[in-house]
Amino acid sequence: MSGRRTRLITGMAALGIGAAALAILSILIDRAPGGVVSLAWPAASYARFRLTALAVGVIVGSALAVSGVLLQALLRNPLASPFILGVSNGAGLGVMVAMYLSFAWRGTELGQLGQTGPAVVGALGTLSVVYALGQRRGWLDPVSLVLIGVVVSTICGAGIMFFQHLVPTGLRGQFTTWIMGHLPQGTSGSMLLICGTITLAALVLSMCLGRAMDAATLGDDEARSIGLSIGPLRLGMFFLAGLLAAMTVTLAGPIGFVGLIAPHAARLVLGPRHTALVPGAALCGVILVVGSHAGSRLIDVGAGQMPVGIFTALIGGPAFIWLLLSGRGQS
Amino acid sequence: MTLVIDDLSFAYGDVTALENIAVEAVPGRLTAIVGPNASGKSTLLRCIIGSLRPGRGRALLDGVPTRHLRPRIMARRMAYVAQRSAVSAAFTVTEVVELGRYALPPSRRLVEQAIARLDLADVAHRSYAALSVGQQQRVMLARAVAQLEGAGYLLLDEPTSAMDLRHQRDTMTLIRELVGEGVTVLMVMHDLTAAAVEADVAWLLQSGRLVAAGLTSEVLTESRLREVFNVPFEWLESASGGRRLAPITSSRGGG
Repeated sequence: MSGRRTRLITGMAALGIGAAALAILSILIDRAPGGVVSLAWPAASYARFRLTALAVGVIVGSALAVSGVLLQALLRNPLASPFILGVSNGAGLGVMVAMYLSFAWRGTELGQLGQTGPAVVGALGTLSVVYALGQRRGWLDPVSLVLIGVVVSTICGAGIMFFQHLVPTGLRGQFTTWIMGHLPQGTSGSMLLICGTITLAALVLSMCLGRAMDAATLGDDEARSIGLSIGPLRLGMFFLAGLLAAMTVTLAGPIGFVGLIAPHAARLVLGPRHTALVPGAALCGVILVVGSHAGSRLIDVGAGQMPVGIFTALIGGPAFIWLLLSGRGQS
Repeated sequence: MTLVIDDLSFAYGDVTALENIAVEAVPGRLTAIVGPNASGKSTLLRCIIGSLRPGRGRALLDGVPTRHLRPRIMARRMAYVAQRSAVSAAFTVTEVVELGRYALPPSRRLVEQAIARLDLADVAHRSYAALSVGQQQRVMLARAVAQLEGAGYLLLDEPTSAMDLRHQRDTMTLIRELVGEGVTVLMVMHDLTAAAVEADVAWLLQSGRLVAAGLTSEVLTESRLREVFNVPFEWLESASGGRRLAPITSSRGGG
């Protein structure tokens, strides 16, 4: 067996075992009202909630990671992440506008289920604008995409602040909770089924695009000269990455750094080839999100369970700096 | 197999880069594309491979505009190495060379052969990014060699510009071998001596126009080079009997 294949099999097995162990741990962790932590299979009524949060964690972690791999290949930038296209701020603006309208027209707060539609509209609307403006000579241009993504994201951020300014202070708190990112325990089964199917289909499709993504690491001219149709590939990667990122935001709010760090963690274990990198990154994303969820249930700072988005940022931020300083983010 | 440039013009916005280029590649020969900076040499290659859309005219491969050929079909007949090549992933040398087989059936034999021909066996498992620019040029040439099977077109944009003298010589020898095997090579060159000595045919460009095309000895004449480069040239004889084309400096009494 070649060294490359051995590395792939052992690496993939290690990541799979790690993800499964953390998934089981996240179900078993039990915190008593006094703060005592123990490991036990929960009662049926609790188990359903924990399994739902775990399912959301698996979907969000793997979707963000695959989205990150696609975008890093699309933008030829190892430091790109799903939210660089403005998806999270676009979804946030959608939610904030809905909150404001709900308050202005009906004088009521927007329920959690009512956030999903506006988040989808905001995320996909932002993607459409970035797509329309991020083209040069009829094809998506990596540099234009990043610049337009950053600008659109900033404009959406300003819009969020504008509507926050218009609503009462109490509603701002509701939005702040949403934007921290968390794994909800009450997501419906049909929603999980739809999102799970989308994620699985995107994962398989991305693996099929693996060799093309390898070829796209060359410059445009050389990639074309070895037989790659770079334009259609970029279009496919853009929409897959955008759809996955938008879906995660509607499920769990913006959870940062997973799409940036998971692909790099998978590269360290499995190497740079995209066909293996895609499923490997998905497992790393699951490890990061489900592990952060388990960690947030272990640690009690006296203000209730910490949102998982804070945890991933606390892990991902230093990891990002390490990537930059070590030079691993350059290749 | 024929490659015809048919009245081709291209502009970057308002700036004309190529104007009414009409020429045909001579099959099974090494053609040097020469000219001053910004004369349109690299742009011409990019129009030929179909990356740039000409404003007028076209490049025809066996009668079909290359712009309309699917990249997978093109890759079977034509390989290209850019002036500056970057790989945005931490691939090893072997993995980069294997990319040459992307649209073709995988062939470990052709990949290993290409690595050996470019003297890269010692660094085959090293990271591409960790190599010197000259070594990276050899890797990209190996990638193109692995792509070609038998007769075809090899388009090279200054492929030896960062190589040391030995590897420049070895690479030119390899290119001549490929021509001997039936490959048609179009090569952008700045070294006029190398162009005069190694190439069979020369295309001389100036400000986006084709000044002359034909046998190297007929195109790269002292008077024509003086006119295009605005510098007087002369052939110098070395002690070993070799000849070198060199600009005449004022200290040597030239104009």
